[in-house]
Amino acid sequence: MAEKRKFARKYCKYCEAKVEYVDYKDAKILRHSLSERYKIMPRRLTGNCKRHQEMVELAIKRARATAIIPYVIDTKKVVAVPFEQLQQ
Amino acid sequence: MRHYELLVVLKPTLSVEELQAKQTFLKEILEKNGAVIAAKLEMGTRKLAYQIDKFERGTYTVFYFTAPTAAIAEVERLIRITEECIRFMTVKFENQKELGFWTKQVEKLTKKSDVSAAPVKEIVEEQPVTTEA
Repeated sequence: MAEKRKFARKYCKYCEAKVEYVDYKDAKILRHSLSERYKIMPRRLTGNCKRHQEMVELAIKRARATAIIPYVIDTKKVVAVPFEQLQQ
Repeated sequence: MRHYELLVVLKPTLSVEELQAKQTFLKEILEKNGAVIAAKLEMGTRKLAYQIDKFERGTYTVFYFTAPTAAIAEVERLIRITEECIRFMTVKFENQKELGFWTKQVEKLTKKSDVSAAPVKEIVEEQPVTTEA
């Protein structure tokens, strides 16, 4: 419940930005729906609508397969900002 | 004919000529199998999110094309044989919204190649990376 409070008002940010298709190559768009450990965030925490959540899920899975986004974060090598050097 | 997008990650160790050769090789594979390439996007060499075959970096190339459905299996088979390709992904665009994105992307890319000096944000970011490699 403590985590729930991070998101004050729930609304779909993708609807607001009028996103028609979520491109898996654009890590910036996907970042909103990922936790700090790069897990997919549930809809109840991000406030995404169902339609966009489904699009984002697919895009995240594709991005992981093509090494644009990591599957897991290495807990042994902890860096302050792990993906700063990643472009885009 | 369906609309597709093919992303290929090439080894970062290739020289500029080798890279060019590989990219034309991929293009030829596609065209031989009846694909019509609409646009090509070079994302340059970037850091991978995790190691692939001991490589930390990879060179990304994306092709947007239309092709008959049977061509994809053959193209993927050939890419699997190619050692320089460390990762690839084919994406099919089917419904109206996806196709809309496809055409928009193609338009954006063809416009970019026409006016190479166009101050598009993405291209500015990518150029130093490609020269560095």
